[in-house]
Amino acid sequence: MARSAIALFLFFASQVAFGQEKYTISGYIKDAANGETLIGATVYIPAIGGGGVTNVYGFYSITLAPGTYNVQYRFIGYESVTRTVELTEDTRIDLELSDAQQELEAVVVSARSQDANVSEIEMSTAELDIKTIEKIPAFLGEVDVVRSLQLIPGVSTVGEGASGFNVRGGGVGQNLVLLDEAPVYNSSHLLGFFSVFNPDAVKDVKLYKGGIPAQYGGRISSILDIRMKEGNAKKFEVNGCIGSIFSRLAVEGPIVKDKASFIVAGRRSYADILARPFSDIFDDGAALNFYDLTLKTNYNINEKNRVYLSGYLGRDVFRFDERQGFSWGNRTATLRWNHLFSDKLFANFTLFYSDYDYSLAFGENDRDKFEWDSRIRTYNAKTEFTYFANTQNELTFGGEALLYRFRPADAVGVSDGESTDISLDEKKALETALYVGNEQTVNDRLTLQYGLRFSNYTYLGDGTIYTFGDTIPGIRKPLIGTEETDNFEAIETFNNLEPRFSFKYQLSINSSIKGSYNFMSQYIHLISNTTASNPLDVWTSSSNNIDPQTGQQVALGYFRNFKENQWEASVELYYRWTENQIDYIDGADLLINELIEGDLLSGDGRAYGAEFFLKKKTGRWNGWVSYTLGRTELQVEGINRGEWYPNRFDQLHNLKIAGFYDINDRWSLSGNFTYLSGTPTTFPNSRFEVQGYVIPYIANEARNQVRIPDYHRLDFSLTRNGRKVKKNGKERKVEDSFVFTVYNIYARRNPFSIYFRQVDDRIMAGTPVETQARQVSIIGTFFPSITYNFKF
Amino acid sequence: MKVFRYLIPLTIFFAACDDQITVELDEIESFVSIDAWLTNQPGRQVIRVQQTQGYFENTFLESVQGAQVTVTDDEGTIFEFLENENGEYAWIPPTPTDSFGEIGRAYFLEVIVDGVTYSAASAMNRVPEIDSVTFRFEEGNAFLEDSYFGEFWSRDPLGVGDTYWIKAYKNGVYLNKPDEINIAFDAGFSQGGVVDGLIFIQPIRDGVNEFEESEEDDGMIRSPYTFGDSLSVELHSISNDAFFFMQQVIDETNRPGGFGELFANPLSNVSTNISVSDPDVPVVGFFNVAAVNTLGRTLVDEDDVRIVED
Repeated sequence: MARSAIALFLFFASQVAFGQEKYTISGYIKDAANGETLIGATVYIPAIGGGGVTNVYGFYSITLAPGTYNVQYRFIGYESVTRTVELTEDTRIDLELSDAQQELEAVVVSARSQDANVSEIEMSTAELDIKTIEKIPAFLGEVDVVRSLQLIPGVSTVGEGASGFNVRGGGVGQNLVLLDEAPVYNSSHLLGFFSVFNPDAVKDVKLYKGGIPAQYGGRISSILDIRMKEGNAKKFEVNGCIGSIFSRLAVEGPIVKDKASFIVAGRRSYADILARPFSDIFDDGAALNFYDLTLKTNYNINEKNRVYLSGYLGRDVFRFDERQGFSWGNRTATLRWNHLFSDKLFANFTLFYSDYDYSLAFGENDRDKFEWDSRIRTYNAKTEFTYFANTQNELTFGGEALLYRFRPADAVGVSDGESTDISLDEKKALETALYVGNEQTVNDRLTLQYGLRFSNYTYLGDGTIYTFGDTIPGIRKPLIGTEETDNFEAIETFNNLEPRFSFKYQLSINSSIKGSYNFMSQYIHLISNTTASNPLDVWTSSSNNIDPQTGQQVALGYFRNFKENQWEASVELYYRWTENQIDYIDGADLLINELIEGDLLSGDGRAYGAEFFLKKKTGRWNGWVSYTLGRTELQVEGINRGEWYPNRFDQLHNLKIAGFYDINDRWSLSGNFTYLSGTPTTFPNSRFEVQGYVIPYIANEARNQVRIPDYHRLDFSLTRNGRKVKKNGKERKVEDSFVFTVYNIYARRNPFSIYFRQVDDRIMAGTPVETQARQVSIIGTFFPSITYNFKF
Repeated sequence: MKVFRYLIPLTIFFAACDDQITVELDEIESFVSIDAWLTNQPGRQVIRVQQTQGYFENTFLESVQGAQVTVTDDEGTIFEFLENENGEYAWIPPTPTDSFGEIGRAYFLEVIVDGVTYSAASAMNRVPEIDSVTFRFEEGNAFLEDSYFGEFWSRDPLGVGDTYWIKAYKNGVYLNKPDEINIAFDAGFSQGGVVDGLIFIQPIRDGVNEFEESEEDDGMIRSPYTFGDSLSVELHSISNDAFFFMQQVIDETNRPGGFGELFANPLSNVSTNISVSDPDVPVVGFFNVAAVNTLGRTLVDEDDVRIVED
């Protein structure tokens, strides 16, 4: 396995080693206003009809034969710069681009070059820049990264209040969410109403739905790569927002001008603070808040070395009194070192730590209480190399090692003064990966990206491991053996070779065809059997009883731009098939259960669909229409008679419209409309009684055989920017704006679920039991809100 | 999952709507349902053999007439259950104070309907004494009036795998709502986290209270007990299978709605321990044999209120 990876690497290396003497132009591209590096800026050399694009650290490198070239540096919304370079030796050009000052171009979905949609090889990706995210009408006016992504084709959610998001029919736990490369295990505050990412600290958001490059792995559905701002390297800047749920404040600035900078951004909810005068419950230690703090600093040691340190801390706290309640949160820390071995070889070394935990505590005194902590910790080291071989080949290779420590329950119960420890063993695992990939420009029309990722996963001791016997699928598996293991003893090992391939074929100057195939494997599993994913879901390891999930996807797309790239259009078809999808027996006991593996089922999944996207990028009117026609299904022995059934997040139609209109230079209007097919659910047919309780019965063990009504919603927001100049003609130091938002403007009670029950009243002896169907809407009305943003 | 119920209040500041609606359900043919929960309490024992019906048919279940219903123990003693009305089949003890069954014995149910045999097995397991029933006072808060809570005190015997159903009667009326079903695995909630040999944990001891909105319609929960109310607690030793079955019954029947739906499991069929001679014939229901201990108390006045040490 490893040998073939090396052979492949040698093949790539040989591809690029020959040729005449050449020289390299390389450097960083930054924003002139604040020194932030620009991700995805284009470096175009007309003479060769090609060039390069800056990577996630803002670095580019192009190798050419000696000569004199015009080099154009371009980034949407910025003034282009052209430099004439006499290339007689390796040349370093670090450049700063200035804001174009064209208000109307402020809204851009892709931060790439004008025709990137067509000309670049990437497909099945969505990139949102923070300026766009801020314009989208948000629930309660809270600018939200994850909710904004749901306006992109192929992305959905099971409903308001649900944590996470679904991509092309994949589960919430099949998305890898990276914040400065560290995985974030729960991306939601307050169940799923808000995401944990502070928009003030976010620089770039990129979602890979397919065509995933070889450097990413570990989840089978999607990769959400969020990059944090480095902090203004030129001057101090304060951003803030007073909203209805959160207030935010971010401070950034240089530590050493153009050398080192920092950003500190915090948010806190204040429902509890507002409620305090009206209620005394908070005086007894009750709490209801959620907050997050994001920090980042970087230091430009010299032209060849730069280090970054970033951290995130977020928490939701809910307490009834000082002893009882629950809380959860993520913590991440990332240390990175960018090093240029040469003008052509860019390297990044990363160390990170990520921790997600939740804790619950009940009991009013020490004689009777219950305390439970659960956590997953990840330690990671990784290296990433980019070799800008020549204008035809850009090679990436590297590796990573992740150590997982799963602690599903650290729990104690005390009953009438006697305590009992109900903790579960810690589980450990090591995941390693090596990868190599190449982006090859074959000719003017054809670009290929191909790579291979080799991943290995070892489930490690100590603790007890269990063996289960076979039984009829769908009922609890009997325990037939236990075995004690030593610390770090290898219990089970898995390997996967994951090929990745993409191509782009340019049909004309404004249209192209792209296709991709990728194989992904996933070794850790989110255990969740509730309607919506929630903070108490536990992550568990692949083991002697649980096989890794694997997923393969093919996608084919047609991309076309119109009217000098003002309009972008694309159609993508995808088909994804997955193995070892986790499901649960009826009555599965998933929390604090040492024998949980006996309650899990395994099956196959398939998802397929077509995504349509049309976007107007510029002008006073701009926005997009996104439509997905899709299916996602599971087949699990023991559920639905072993036949295919639709997933909980199967939505045939998914239509999103986002529109932005600049009324004048002070007022702008945004709106978005969402239409989703009703999600599937299970209805009963008959009833019977057990000791007076009416029990529903479903014929044929069916699952998800009916659908709840469709979901649709319209939101608006109106932004009023503060004056730029004072009455006396001087420029104001403060930039500010008010945002008025109405969410769900026609107050539709969108169904979240339909459930069945006997009436809530006490049934008197001698009367038959009455049953009913009920429909729940999580947000059953319209929500107006006002937020105030400021910056100085 | 019980802990999810504690998560629900955190979303109080959003307005979830929960409305009754009309839906059409596919009808299927009815089939046999057997409800056989026998105890060693003195007096007659009843097994119901009935027919399933449409989910929204809000009438008593139709009876299955002419069934042959017997229970046999592991010594070969046969208990005959004779047809009564409404699908009830009853075993009448020789004298009204005699009771059915013996702890430690196994029992086999056989029901014959139209030549099809339905059978199941269960055993009568040990059950500890209830040491006392008490009341405690708690000051009210934003959601609850000043309240008297009932509690029962009993210790699960050593040895993992005792399972119980605790039934509470307030003033002689069984607390029969799905959210009042109170079951225990040893002294705790579930098999996964073993709590063996202890006094039943507080949420189980407290599971003998009803939580009803106060008559004033102010959204407050009224005191579960007031002076003059009585509480009687029955501790049933049920089989492990019956415990898992009741866990499923809670999942399928206790639907608090509103935000609780975020934490609901998909609707699915509960299991059964009844097998049928013809595998193509469906059946629902459960057979269990339980030993029962009972204790009651009336909250007369302040003297009945237990002082809670901090």
